[in-house]
Amino acid sequence: MSWMNIELILLIALPAVIAVFMAFSSSFKQRTRNILAVTGAGIELYLVFSLFFLNFEAVKNSNFFLQYTIGYSNPPFVINFAMDNLSLLFSLIVTAAVFFIVIFSTQYIRDKESRYFAFFFLVLASIQGSILTADLFTLYLFIEAITIFTTPLISFKKTEKTTRAAMQYLFYGITGGVFFFISIILIYFNLGTLKMAAVAESFVLISTPMQLTIIIFFLLALIIKLGIFPIHFWLPRAHSACPAPISALLSGVLLKVYLYIFMRLFWTMIAFDFLVELHLSAFVLDLALVSSLIGHVFALQADKLKKMLAYSSIGHIGMILAVLMLNTEAAFYGGLLHIIAHMLMKSGLFLSSGYLLRTTLSHHIDDLKGIGHKNRLVFIAFIIICLGTIGMPPLIGFVSKWFVLLAFLEARHYFGAFVVGAGSIIALIYYLRYISQAYETVKTENKTLREELVSLKVFFKSTNIMKNIIYLFTLLIIFFGLGYKFFEIPINTAIFELLNPQKYIELVLGG
Amino acid sequence: MFNNLIFIILFMLGFYALIMKTNLIKNVIGLNIMEAAVFFWVISFSDVGGEVSIHKLGEEVTKFNDPVPQALTLTGIVIGASTAALLLTLIIELNKFSGTIDREKIEGLND
Repeated sequence: MSWMNIELILLIALPAVIAVFMAFSSSFKQRTRNILAVTGAGIELYLVFSLFFLNFEAVKNSNFFLQYTIGYSNPPFVINFAMDNLSLLFSLIVTAAVFFIVIFSTQYIRDKESRYFAFFFLVLASIQGSILTADLFTLYLFIEAITIFTTPLISFKKTEKTTRAAMQYLFYGITGGVFFFISIILIYFNLGTLKMAAVAESFVLISTPMQLTIIIFFLLALIIKLGIFPIHFWLPRAHSACPAPISALLSGVLLKVYLYIFMRLFWTMIAFDFLVELHLSAFVLDLALVSSLIGHVFALQADKLKKMLAYSSIGHIGMILAVLMLNTEAAFYGGLLHIIAHMLMKSGLFLSSGYLLRTTLSHHIDDLKGIGHKNRLVFIAFIIICLGTIGMPPLIGFVSKWFVLLAFLEARHYFGAFVVGAGSIIALIYYLRYISQAYETVKTENKTLREELVSLKVFFKSTNIMKNIIYLFTLLIIFFGLGYKFFEIPINTAIFELLNPQKYIELVLGG
Repeated sequence: MFNNLIFIILFMLGFYALIMKTNLIKNVIGLNIMEAAVFFWVISFSDVGGEVSIHKLGEEVTKFNDPVPQALTLTGIVIGASTAALLLTLIIELNKFSGTIDREKIEGLND
């Protein structure tokens, strides 16, 4: 058992320990608490990156694998954590995004910070756990933990609206959890094991009606958690009610974690051929595309900025899910790249909306008049990120949408290609609505653009952390748009993992 | 098959209360009934009429009940209790704000 294997546990345990410290940190000075939070998230980021760089050769050759076992060595009485290329990719991007969100929230959150950070780090711990776990029951536990710990964060500002949103979120989340539990139990009664790898080996042995039942319950649970069309209405409310960093966490990070779980379940554990055989993959594909269109159309009529962003999230998640269901290499490339792109863009959008909305009365469109003049540079950053989401050429959103479009065209699925294009055009309209509103009145006398540019020179010296994080996200979106090849190795190895689940199964069962 | 029947009846009862009732506390009760139905079903399946699965010194246990579903159920009960507590606190807060626990009357919940 080397140090690296123990790091897997550390990735989950460290945020949990920090959360305990944070819960009792109400007597700390604010500075101490912020330093603790940022260093905690930083150490987490360092651990994941060190795993990536120290094993770079193994990652490159697609034979990177780590696992850690707690308990007896024989299944099913064992808790097992494993990390392969797919989980490494998701762990990397999730931790990086969370690190920036933590830095942002040190300045954004102004009261009850100890409670906020305690729940935040608990969510981080459960996210890492659900990414790294290799057996179903621990996965169920961590998914439920995510739902339970995000609820107090949604109702953080105690108003009627947030309480309502949090309650609805919890109702739907728990119902999804019950479906997930039923599915797990059916698997256990049929196969006598809960290890994902062992289930994957013997899933063929289950009778076809039972297979269908298991898959349908899993799909139901994940469709509820992902906010796909028939059961999507909780999502915009929950994602727009909470403080801006939490919106970024929910919309930018958490939805991707559920997509990861989707991939784990339907490519590694239950081979994708079963979905094709049972005619479910085509159904889910169409459902996801309809959901994508509906998300974009509802974003058109949303009169509140954060609600609009949340509806746009539904559109993007539907598109990613649809492209993954094509089950080709090109589709995985586009899907995974768009997962990264959407994570960067939606986190950036929510964080900048949080910054912009501090000075306005509400986030209703009528109250947003003139914010473009009040905070020029931040709003320019906001526009750039919007353009990325629409798919303007030099930005990362364009690159990923391009690959998604290519995947749809390659599979000759023209409705999918249409949805990608239509989504972009509708997105252009609804973002322009807000941007034109923001430049409406020119009455306020504030800093000129020149002065703002001078203040940009003292970029990292300046005290305004929030602005800098927003600029950083914008720069990352431009930078990775030009250099999307940086993600080539992690994404290609992750695709290898999705297409060859046999390797993961053998390694988990062998060690 | 008796346990299957009871499972379906309980689950549908809970689902009915969750979907159709407008009283939020009744919804929570419905959710709990749903969970209880699942737990009951799991436990009834794992019971094969054998011994308790505790390792006893010097005794040979040939037939024992599977302990894994029991462990799963215990964890599920803990999760269910915590979510019920969280939901009830949220309902109390909501009652403070809007003065009612009727889903239909709370503005915006059904839009």
